[in-house]
Amino acid sequence: MTYVIAQPCVDLKDKACVDECPVDCIYEGPRKMYINPDECVDCGACEPVCPVEAIFYEDSLPDELSEYATVDREFFAADPSPGGASSVGVAEADHPVVRAEPVRAAG
Amino acid sequence: MAVQISERVLTQSPDKEVRRLNRVVIRFAGDSGDGMQLTGDRFTSETASFGNDLSTLPNFPAEIRAPAGTLPGVSSFQLHFADHDILTPGDAPDVLVAMNPAALKANIKDVPRGGEVIVDTDEFTKRAMQKVGYDTSPLEDGSLDAYRIHGVPLTTLTVEALKEFDLSRKEAERSKNMFALGLLSWMYHRPTEGTEQFLKQKFAKKPQIAAANIAAFRAGWNFGETTEDFAVSYEVAPAATAFPVGTYRNISGNLALAYGLIAASQQADLPLFLGSYPITPASDILHELSKHKNFGVRTFQAEDEIAGIGAALGAAFGGSLAVTTTSGPGVALKSETIALAVSMELPLVVVDIQRGGPSTGLPTKTEQADLLQAMYGRNGEAPVPIVAPRTPTDCFAAALEAARIALTYRTPVFLLSDGYLANGSEPWRIPALTELPDLTVQFATGPNHTLDDGTDVFWPYKRDPQTLARPWALPGTPGLEHRIGGIEKEDGTGNISYDPANHEFMVRTRRAKVDGVDVPDIEVDDPHGATSLVLGWGSTYGPITAAVRRLRTAGVPIAQAHLRHLNPFPGNLGEVLRSYDKVVIPEMNLGQLATLIRAKYLVDARSYNQVNGMPFKAEQLAAALQEMLRED
Amino acid sequence: MRTELALSAKPLTAKDFKSDQETRWCPGCGDYAILAAVQGFMPELQVAKENIVFVSGIGCSSRFPYYMNTYGMHSIHGRAPAIATGLATSRRDLSVWVVTGDGDALSIGGNHLIHALRRNVNLKILLFNNRIYGLTKGQYSPTSEVGKITKSTPMGSLDAPFNPVSLALGAEASFVARTIDSDRKHLTEVLRQAAAHPGTALIEIYQNCNIFNDGAFDALKDKQQAEEAVIRLEHGKPIRFGADGARGVVRDPATGDLKVVDVTPGDEAGLLVHDAHAASPLTAIGLARLADPDTLHHTPIGVLRDVRRPVYDTQMAHQLDTAVEQKGKGDLAALLTGNDTWTVGSSS
Repeated sequence: MTYVIAQPCVDLKDKACVDECPVDCIYEGPRKMYINPDECVDCGACEPVCPVEAIFYEDSLPDELSEYATVDREFFAADPSPGGASSVGVAEADHPVVRAEPVRAAG
Repeated sequence: MAVQISERVLTQSPDKEVRRLNRVVIRFAGDSGDGMQLTGDRFTSETASFGNDLSTLPNFPAEIRAPAGTLPGVSSFQLHFADHDILTPGDAPDVLVAMNPAALKANIKDVPRGGEVIVDTDEFTKRAMQKVGYDTSPLEDGSLDAYRIHGVPLTTLTVEALKEFDLSRKEAERSKNMFALGLLSWMYHRPTEGTEQFLKQKFAKKPQIAAANIAAFRAGWNFGETTEDFAVSYEVAPAATAFPVGTYRNISGNLALAYGLIAASQQADLPLFLGSYPITPASDILHELSKHKNFGVRTFQAEDEIAGIGAALGAAFGGSLAVTTTSGPGVALKSETIALAVSMELPLVVVDIQRGGPSTGLPTKTEQADLLQAMYGRNGEAPVPIVAPRTPTDCFAAALEAARIALTYRTPVFLLSDGYLANGSEPWRIPALTELPDLTVQFATGPNHTLDDGTDVFWPYKRDPQTLARPWALPGTPGLEHRIGGIEKEDGTGNISYDPANHEFMVRTRRAKVDGVDVPDIEVDDPHGATSLVLGWGSTYGPITAAVRRLRTAGVPIAQAHLRHLNPFPGNLGEVLRSYDKVVIPEMNLGQLATLIRAKYLVDARSYNQVNGMPFKAEQLAAALQEMLRED
Repeated sequence: MRTELALSAKPLTAKDFKSDQETRWCPGCGDYAILAAVQGFMPELQVAKENIVFVSGIGCSSRFPYYMNTYGMHSIHGRAPAIATGLATSRRDLSVWVVTGDGDALSIGGNHLIHALRRNVNLKILLFNNRIYGLTKGQYSPTSEVGKITKSTPMGSLDAPFNPVSLALGAEASFVARTIDSDRKHLTEVLRQAAAHPGTALIEIYQNCNIFNDGAFDALKDKQQAEEAVIRLEHGKPIRFGADGARGVVRDPATGDLKVVDVTPGDEAGLLVHDAHAASPLTAIGLARLADPDTLHHTPIGVLRDVRRPVYDTQMAHQLDTAVEQKGKGDLAALLTGNDTWTVGSSS
């Protein structure tokens, strides 16, 4: 099981979650943060600190955000376990679903 | 130079007077290094094979080897044997064998006027006597005029008897105890072949030592034969009616208990696991069980008492018949783990060989003051069944009974013996294996509960409706994986639960399980329709029965009952207690059973207590009971 | 792999080892990472799931068995090694794991720990060291740094901490390793080596308690600091660490002690090569003690020692077998009868 980061994160990337994660499994993409499902240990520390409630336990993703169920997992398809976000920089490309999101208005 | 042992058999001279006695009490006393326990054991063995009923009371000092010739170093062995069935090692010795002044001083006050005292005069040197406070020799100053003193230059005679052997004086002196044994064996017409065989076997690798000891033994015998000072010898006929038909052996309580545990493991077809730590007077059980690895017995001498019981509990989780052995101080240390076993509902036999307390107390003296500790000595409501043997041989059956309760109800069980039973011995009718109870366990093999959605699951706390025992699923059984611990758990599922109603239910259910352990009704011996009852538990059985006999012979009717199960009590106990006007409970504590009886049955049971590290004396107990029965 | 262990009929996955219990550790606790690593590793053992047992004591660490879908015992404070010893010696077909903490194992449980190590019973001991008492809400522990201010030490703690791996090495342990909760790869590799080791294996796992001692191991986790602070040991390799391997460990010829030096291309050959199989534990103890007791700077991680010693439960089983060879299988009737009997016939 794992946690996933859904649409509310797009174009915001507050990163409060990164400070909480004990295993450094939250990676940065151009527009959204991504949780590596193999490295996530289900500790739940990230979920309550997101200011926009973008993080959900896999099983608890609300229906309206259901397209984000597999986004994080697919994001890591090429390299399933990079070994810690702090040793990796910002990724070059987002997941297609994220790329397709309309740009968030500033404000 | 090798000295041959002749095969000549020792005989009794026809010229000396022979008197018939129906019972004798002999006490051997000397330095711990003098071999009094060995002497006593051998005399006991001869007596058993002769067919007398007997009861023994070894009395050990606490130190391994106190300075020679001092009072704290005196060790003694008392043996009571008779031509009828007897129950105690005797209130007082008829004969005291004192190997030195310290032994004399420590024991003479127990010898009644007119008793016989045999002393090794060689050891009564000025220095030895002064060491223990004799300013003048008691053998000469008239202070022992009330007794019949036999002064024997035992040391000299022994050394003389062994002069042909290539031994130093010190080595030769070590056979003094065999000389004394030979003399006493002559005095009481004891068969000697057994002792000679024993010595040959014990020293099989050192034939010279065997020969020397046998020579000393025979010299002692011959001394009795020839010396005028010993004008009379005594016969005590075999106890023809004391023993039902069967094959007998002599056995001590601890040995019987150890055998009982092995028998239980065989009857249950489970490997025996003992986790233990040496402590007087329980260590012998650890030693004995460690000899029987060929029975699959695993003995683990742990780093401390807690690790001992911890390892036993771990073995129980894995399906062994798990046991831990200790005395009072060890029970105190084990209490947390016992409570864990109560909560986890796993079988575990906790053997407490009680000794004088509190704290380190009197390690080599007996007492029965751990009853309330066994009943209550844990945090929270943690009931544990309690079984108490009543005689040395009863330790065998009591061990099987404790194992039965533990395995059937999945609970720790206390087996409360004491130092007196542990080291005392008596003849035992060896049971046939077919007489032993079947203790086979049914382990859980598959799911035992169906959920609402139809899934079959295993619930580790779904109880047998009759015994309230939970199922016992062993690691290695597929599909029954579960986790249990000491935190309160939900009935049925076994998951951690802090729910108030569940906790109440579990506390009461654990109590109900123990209350419901099936135990036989208590039997009352009341041939004269008495109005008073004497109730006891544990090793007081012998002295109480002897006291009751005296009272009845003197025309005082009294009923007797003896508890073997202290928790739960037998179902008919309340009714029995209420049918007597007076109930007296003699105990070697300050009234622990009395406290339980009074609380549960609201009966005005009275206590007669003695807490001096010694068993009750029958005569004294009879007098006390008589007095108490007279009062209102 | 011991021949007594029952193997799984089918391949297992990490999911098979997850129990149905909701995990109740504080969000962000390092225990989650250790649980994930252990669950991820268990299938590799290939032991039948029903033959694996986790035994714990008391503490946050000790909630561990509830989250593993195996047999488990959540016992009492400090006593898990003793209880597990009884289980392991009587059931050699089981793979027995002990989960404990710095309080459970080094305070109340210290005695049982050193004896388990001394005996070399077949147990794998996972010691979660968070340098604090978590479950009881924040008192200092036997591994806390001197002067630590906690609820029970408002003026700072007075006692010097244990170095757990040094203690274990001193207690004759045949396998001693240290790893870090968040380094999944390293933790898994250490588990692998421990599982393969016959006898007692002690693995100290630095674990972050984010509620009562957050950041205790930051110096060892922060990428920048870790390079200089952590000495990674690998059997057979020269001991080097730091940026570009600029630091190394050598033996001082004058004192015989180990010390950390700057490595120059010229003296690479003088670097100590880590030998986890060395018969004597002295060098391993020396490595263990390079660590600063309070800051943990220069702490070695990895397998410090992995040697073969006789295994207690194997020897105990051997004694039982030998007894049967010598005396034959136990005959209860003969035992009860003994050597010295007499018979009472029907009375005439």
